[in-house]
Amino acid sequence: MSMLPQLLFTGIGIGSIYAMVSLGFVLLIRSANVVNFAQGEFSMLGAYLMLILLMSFHVPYFIALVVSVILMGVFGIVFGVITYWPLRTRGQIPVIISTIGAGILLENTVLATYGPSPQVLPGVFNASGVLVGNIFMDSQYLSIICTAFVLLALQYVIFEKTVVGKKIQATSQDRETAGLLGIPVVTLIFGIFFYSAALGGLAGILVAPILFVSVGIASVVALKAFAANIIGGFGSIPGAIIGGLLIGIVETLGAAYISVPYKDAYAFIMLIAVLLVRPQGLFGERVAEKA
Amino acid sequence: MMTAVSMRNRGLLYGGLGILVVIAIALVAPSHGYYLNIMMQAATYAIAVAGIVVVLGYCGQISLCQAAFLGMGAYCVAIGTVDYGLPFFVSLAIGVAVTGIGGTLLGLTTLRLGGHYIGMVTIGFQLIVTMVLTNWLGFTHGPDGISGIPRPSLAGMDLSGGAIYLGLCLLFLGAVTMFTVYLKMSRLGRAMQAVRDNDLAASTCGVNVFRTKVIAFAISAALGGLGGGLFAGAFSYISPDQFTFNDSVVLLTMALLGGVEYAFGALLGTILLVMLPEWLRFLRQAYLAVYGAAVIAIIVFLPRGMWGLLMDRYFKPRPMKAVEVAPLPLLARHGVPSEDVVLNIAKLAKHFGGLKAVDEVDMMVRRGSVHALIGPNGSGKTTILNVITGLYVTTAGKVEFLGKDITALPPHDRARLGMCRTYQNIRVFRGMTVLENVIVGAERGGNDVSGTDATLERALAALDFVGLRDVAHLPVGDLPYGHQRYVEIARALAGSPEILLLDEPGAGLNLTEKGEMAELLKRLQGHGMTIVIIDHDMKLIERVADHITVLNFGRRIADGDPKFALSHPEVIAAYLGEPHRDAA
Amino acid sequence: METSRRSIIGILSAGACVGLVGPAFAADTIKIGMTIPMTGPGATTGQLQHQGAKLAVDQINAAGGVLGRQIELVEEDDQTTNPGMVLAFSRLVNRGDLAVILASVRSTQVNAVSEDIKKSGLPVFIGGSDPTLTHMGDPWVFRCRPNDIFSSKVIAEFGANDLKKKKWAVIHGTDAFGASGGKLLIDQLKALGITPVIEQGINNGQADLTPVVLAVRNSGADVLATYIAFENDVALFARQLKQFGVNIPWIGSASVASPISRNLAGPALYGTYVVADFDANSSPEAKKFADEFNTAHKVIPDDQPAWVYDAVMLTVEAIKKTGGTDPMKLRDALHAIKGFKGTEGTYTFDENGDGLRAYNIIQNENGNLKFIRQITPAS
Repeated sequence: MSMLPQLLFTGIGIGSIYAMVSLGFVLLIRSANVVNFAQGEFSMLGAYLMLILLMSFHVPYFIALVVSVILMGVFGIVFGVITYWPLRTRGQIPVIISTIGAGILLENTVLATYGPSPQVLPGVFNASGVLVGNIFMDSQYLSIICTAFVLLALQYVIFEKTVVGKKIQATSQDRETAGLLGIPVVTLIFGIFFYSAALGGLAGILVAPILFVSVGIASVVALKAFAANIIGGFGSIPGAIIGGLLIGIVETLGAAYISVPYKDAYAFIMLIAVLLVRPQGLFGERVAEKA
Repeated sequence: MMTAVSMRNRGLLYGGLGILVVIAIALVAPSHGYYLNIMMQAATYAIAVAGIVVVLGYCGQISLCQAAFLGMGAYCVAIGTVDYGLPFFVSLAIGVAVTGIGGTLLGLTTLRLGGHYIGMVTIGFQLIVTMVLTNWLGFTHGPDGISGIPRPSLAGMDLSGGAIYLGLCLLFLGAVTMFTVYLKMSRLGRAMQAVRDNDLAASTCGVNVFRTKVIAFAISAALGGLGGGLFAGAFSYISPDQFTFNDSVVLLTMALLGGVEYAFGALLGTILLVMLPEWLRFLRQAYLAVYGAAVIAIIVFLPRGMWGLLMDRYFKPRPMKAVEVAPLPLLARHGVPSEDVVLNIAKLAKHFGGLKAVDEVDMMVRRGSVHALIGPNGSGKTTILNVITGLYVTTAGKVEFLGKDITALPPHDRARLGMCRTYQNIRVFRGMTVLENVIVGAERGGNDVSGTDATLERALAALDFVGLRDVAHLPVGDLPYGHQRYVEIARALAGSPEILLLDEPGAGLNLTEKGEMAELLKRLQGHGMTIVIIDHDMKLIERVADHITVLNFGRRIADGDPKFALSHPEVIAAYLGEPHRDAA
Repeated sequence: METSRRSIIGILSAGACVGLVGPAFAADTIKIGMTIPMTGPGATTGQLQHQGAKLAVDQINAAGGVLGRQIELVEEDDQTTNPGMVLAFSRLVNRGDLAVILASVRSTQVNAVSEDIKKSGLPVFIGGSDPTLTHMGDPWVFRCRPNDIFSSKVIAEFGANDLKKKKWAVIHGTDAFGASGGKLLIDQLKALGITPVIEQGINNGQADLTPVVLAVRNSGADVLATYIAFENDVALFARQLKQFGVNIPWIGSASVASPISRNLAGPALYGTYVVADFDANSSPEAKKFADEFNTAHKVIPDDQPAWVYDAVMLTVEAIKKTGGTDPMKLRDALHAIKGFKGTEGTYTFDENGDGLRAYNIIQNENGNLKFIRQITPAS
């Protein structure tokens, strides 16, 4: 019996997780030129918020979902105020470092508060999954795949087809000029921080039933999501999705047919290969020239 | 030059003092136990952190895999001594070589790209190294690690005693620190800082940006390897979990805390962070959270680290001693104006996607002339300059410089031939002093002077020429806007250019300053300097230009002496914004 | 001579009742050093270890101490890292006033300080179960848990003899614990004439184990043995095994039975067998300790507090025998201990410093742990 169809399904499921987190990255890069190394921590916090609302306050599932996502968005604004705003004029690297610091802070605050033991978060559906032919489809993977694709479509339309999207792009390319053109740059950037954190939180809530709720979630998803972003093309929305799916599929197939212990390396080997052959990524535009 | 000499003497003095301190510490150090361990940890880490100073502090490239290099160095020593029975120092040398080569290869693959790529790729590299160390059982002994790593003996002398070995580590550390200090003051170090502060300007000053980054990366990696090798000897046991991504972040934080631009800052930061867990013990679980918050606080409030703070407070830059230097040898070098064509561009085109920013432009610049390039906003003037200097890749057409086809040359090779420029939006090297900025210009490959003293003299002469000698010691960012323009010009002049390209030198200047700028240009013209100038200020252009090329919508619409060009009907139409019916 | 812990306490508490406690505080305390992870990923186990040691010390002190002297714990944080361990250990040794040191339960950390242990001149108790730790010719090392030679032997014997399975799937972590456990198990199976049909290492913190689960399913194995350290990996593996209909018997290392794994995996772990060095139902001593610990901390203890508790009690036993705290004498007294009934089992230190060899087979019965039997493998 061939394992291939099953592996492909799993790969797409895992890949959708990477893709979703990757989408959050893309927006911050495009609007504020912020490369956020704490994106994975957004997912972790989202999962913990959900857990607290469900277990300690006994909030119904969907209300808890909405509340956590909104709270995460608000948190995103606070995050932006602390890690990005004071450094906005100092270039990309100081912001990268401050987001790394924020990641350490968040992870260890949660660790100190809730301990390292992973905890169970219920999923959207009660059933564990359905068997379609020979393929077992995990219900949580199904909901992730659907959410990822809906968000992809939405984000693509907003970015490429609406005025807001154009404004965001203008802001990304030249903040000063965008400001002169009457674009509310600051509002826009913090709006993106809100959305990016909310999206990261949502991804965490969807992933947690599979990975359990623990501080480890952050590192499992974030680095690969980031790699997905570069493979797909830095700042490209379709690229983030395709890159994520590609990593998910390649590492699942690689684990099955090549080596399990090196599974986590495949994403980065792909990353380096892509950078060597096509540095702008699969869907990226050529790196902009400026003088 | 006396400054350079006195610097060298001071260095020797510090070096000697350092060695004495090493000996003193080694004498009083306990032969085993806690303090010895903590000192060895600090000493070996500090060597790796010095690598971060080079790559991030000097060259501005983020590296998140220093622990991987630390690990590679440590494993080379461990595997070399334990499994292959090689002498310690041979293994250590192998470790430094392996990491140096590894850093070079990693740099070659990624350093053409921007900061975030390098961040990401180095994380990827870090994870792969950790995975290989963990899983390659046959070679690395897997997750169990390697124990029983011996310490060295040299020429029959046993160096394995705790205090003696610590002394050895400190000697290496002292040498590395001195090396790092000197590197900053060397030509390579200045090139790195120029790349960090402004890679475009660095490239048009003749710095091979890519190669400089790769060298910085390789040095950094090799220092990581050296620190790791000594670490292995210090603790006699290593395992993969000591060299993870988290450790890379810790090493990075050490550099940032101390001051990533300073060799001594790295030292200070390492000592502080090795001790910090001791001082923050009362925090227990919250320790790492506080640590994360500290990283943010440092980067926000102490952008130049603790050492930077000390420097700002106690080491105010002092004016230099007055030294007479020979004036800039401008005329002597360039000879008299002639009909020789210095720069010739033919059918030049630059398209961005569908946008034809420059199309089919011809232009000829003769020796000793001031050639103005004018046109309304967006007419493609700066684009042409960027194509000429190699910042943009030509879409079509040809650029010839001194009779040589340079269309395919990278910017630094064009600078090497004697092409120097300034920028509309000033591009000085903000982290450096005025003098250092100009020295970078004087150190252009292909300049008629070389060597520390000669380039320093040339730089001072260039500062004399623009009248900024008294502020030579100040950080360039402290100067008013107008003066920064002169620093840019001095930087270009110090390179004794065959041609000087000025992109709107009058932009942002007030009336008086504009007058002074015009004077300066007249003086340069008098010295026979070949100049291409872009400016919107017609008064300025009329005062200095020998020849004018007018552009509109990326195409040349007029070319000739000022009177002809400025009276051309198409030019008038373009400037007045009227449709040029009569030109059809 | 065989003295149970209860009788010590009995005698000591009798002494306390007569009023010998008061002046005991005036005398110098006997100091026991302890490296524990207070920070980092090991902080939870660190806390359990500390509670275990504290319980033993409190009991001894409440009963009047030993030789009329109170016992005091001196803790150092090892940060759950190897360099942290080296520093913590050297700090303890530097004090110069300790009787013994209780070191780490993590094998790589013990490895990191193995040279320092040799030089320390103090008896050092360890909990790391990597067999090599006690095979470096160091007379100062004492292990209070049965090492993984015995756990792998028990897994192999139980699977092959009790369950009568011949087609083995061996899945292990790629960390130090998993890799060494997996290798030992394969050796033990070979001794029984069995070659596993599949052997696979997995990294910690995976998002998905489908390829491994499918490989196990396709291999036709009829029994599964695992050495996986972390609970989330165990739980993910268990759940995906069930999803893909892999229902063969599973014999795992201790984490398969931990409360965290059982909570995460729920029914997916029902029916699994576990080899555990500590089980509350394995002996009266274990039962009593479990009750006391539960009363004090509202947690059912596992092996983490248990081995440290035993280490303290063994120290007290040795001090009583030698009548002082001379390290060399303590070391020899510890080597001479035979049949000391602790919570983890009955201690008889061999020449390597291994005190235990018995493992308990327990089974997850609908979420509750059932003690099957104790197996003491022949060496």
